[in-house]
Amino acid sequence: MGEKLLMKGNEVIAEAAIRAGCRHYFGYPITPQTEVAHYMAKRMPKIGGVFLQAESEVAAINMVYGAACTGVRVMTSSSSPGISLKQEGISYIAGAELPAVIVNIMRAGPGLGGILPAQGDYFQAVKGGGHGDFKMLVLAPCSVQELYELTVEAFNLADKYRIGTMILGDGTLGQMMEAVEFKDEENIVHYEKNWATNGTNMERDHNIITSIDTNPEILESWNLRLQDKYKQITENEVRVEEYNCDGADLIVAAYGSVARIVKNVIKMAQKEGIKVGLIRPITLWPFPVNSFEKYAEVTKAFLTVEMSAGQMVEDVRLAVNGKAPVSFYGRTGGIIPTQQEILDKIKSILNR
Amino acid sequence: MAYNLKEEAKKPERLSGGHRMCAGCGAPVVVRTILRALKPEDHAVIGAATGCLEVSTFLYPYTAWQDSFIHNAFENVGASISGAEAAYAAMKRRGKLEGETKFIAFGGDGGTYDIGLQSLSGAMERGHDMLYVCYDNGAYMNTGIQRSSATPKYADTTTSPAGKKIPGKQQWRKDLTEIMVEHHLPYVAQTAAIGNMKDLHEKSEKALYTKGPTFMNVLAPCPRGWQYNTPDLMDINKLAVETCFWPLYEVIDGKYVVNYKPKNKLPVKEFLKPQNRFKHIFKPGNEYMLEEIQEETDKRWEHLLKLAGE
Repeated sequence: MGEKLLMKGNEVIAEAAIRAGCRHYFGYPITPQTEVAHYMAKRMPKIGGVFLQAESEVAAINMVYGAACTGVRVMTSSSSPGISLKQEGISYIAGAELPAVIVNIMRAGPGLGGILPAQGDYFQAVKGGGHGDFKMLVLAPCSVQELYELTVEAFNLADKYRIGTMILGDGTLGQMMEAVEFKDEENIVHYEKNWATNGTNMERDHNIITSIDTNPEILESWNLRLQDKYKQITENEVRVEEYNCDGADLIVAAYGSVARIVKNVIKMAQKEGIKVGLIRPITLWPFPVNSFEKYAEVTKAFLTVEMSAGQMVEDVRLAVNGKAPVSFYGRTGGIIPTQQEILDKIKSILNR
Repeated sequence: MAYNLKEEAKKPERLSGGHRMCAGCGAPVVVRTILRALKPEDHAVIGAATGCLEVSTFLYPYTAWQDSFIHNAFENVGASISGAEAAYAAMKRRGKLEGETKFIAFGGDGGTYDIGLQSLSGAMERGHDMLYVCYDNGAYMNTGIQRSSATPKYADTTTSPAGKKIPGKQQWRKDLTEIMVEHHLPYVAQTAAIGNMKDLHEKSEKALYTKGPTFMNVLAPCPRGWQYNTPDLMDINKLAVETCFWPLYEVIDGKYVVNYKPKNKLPVKEFLKPQNRFKHIFKPGNEYMLEEIQEETDKRWEHLLKLAGE
């Protein structure tokens, strides 16, 4: 048994990164994730790590690029508008195949929006908000405990596949305090980084890290290699929680903090004799298509609940592929959907 | 007509009360004084970078601004006002508009020294007829007191926490006023809300009514970030000037004028002492920090006097 502490979500992300061996953090202030930076600013000097506050999000993500080239574990964090600014750098990280962890504690948008929680960045996280054909591995924790575990895992996955890996949380998760139980020892997987530009020591040829090639055939071959890698990730790294799905009249799809609300809705529904299940994607990309396929022909209907105007619902519809009706319920602007609202929606779908 | 604060204060407020800036904050004092320098008949288009001033004065659908107001993101108030001014200039050329409209951009030090510097520099180089005001409170106060490149060395902030391993912020502050002077603007000024506001008022008037791009860097103390007693705002301003930590000067078509030379220049510790963000530099063993700050303050002051030919 490890140490159990009551901690704020944002601080747990920072602590988890440090436990995962991250000693290089580049950030920039933005609500509601700034506590990640505060925690790093306090801890990194004590453990010989780097905390660096950049002059902008654009600078921070490019510092991540630079550090990742040397093969070290590196992280940045921001919130929605800041992630928009980082998108160019994220695309370059994908093109150069660099491992990096990018945290997005989402707030309400678009534009200035507000600082309350939202899930409106599903598209920019999962569909590759930047330019070009690329993907990020996207992990969606639903508790402070998962913020810890998935942040540690994000570094392993980033290194394994040389890919930008995003922790996609929202303002609720970042700001809430919850018990978190730390392990005595972390599962840090060490991958050979013979591609890193960390000095040849006159013993090997120079490594080159780049995303440019002016020869279209070569550039296409790079793209095909990326697509191969993405295929491999799709086959091997899907994570999902299926809850109460067997024999369910209706299955809700929800991720992150919304999924926790849905779990309470399931209990409420049970009291009224309605059997509701939950498919909670933990990896948003790769998306748990199989879980939806599995239940598409046995459940009566699906309902996707998001703190957005309807983003993940598109992937649910693709996965269900017309075999069952897929409804949507969402709140935007920083409003968290209530259990009653969701239950009412379920009942209206099932005509109960 | 000679400047008279009592007369000026009779003008209708263009930043009305009811905004949500903190008690003891320098920024609204600065803004109100600048806006009083506008001719009453002139309209203004005002932009603000994301920051305390913006979030506290423009809680949509409420606004404290009597003039037109535009905000979009953090890094681009220079560009946003450039666009508005360019459109205005084109409409004016075609004779579609009457009267005079002035264009003013406000940014804090985070939005000006750091993320907005590129946008500011572009606007100034292109020569838009606008005034850019940086209200400098020396950190990202809006998001909870993170260091900026305007934060003084050794200040304790949430991202430069003073402790055993690091002594607070480890770098000297960027000299933004000088960077703007190097843009060869017709008018650049550094000022503070001090005394009867004469210096700030007169500089605002010049900056607003000098054709072309003009820039003002105005000290705007922050009681939360600097950790002083809120009623002490005006004393803090005064101490910044009397210690030459924040000299009052202007550069008119490249010519430097130092507007105020203290008869008895106070040691910089007089300015630092009332601020708890510098608490640690007064602890035994940290004397070197104060010495360094004094040395740097003196160096920059001497350099300024030299530039002014004094």
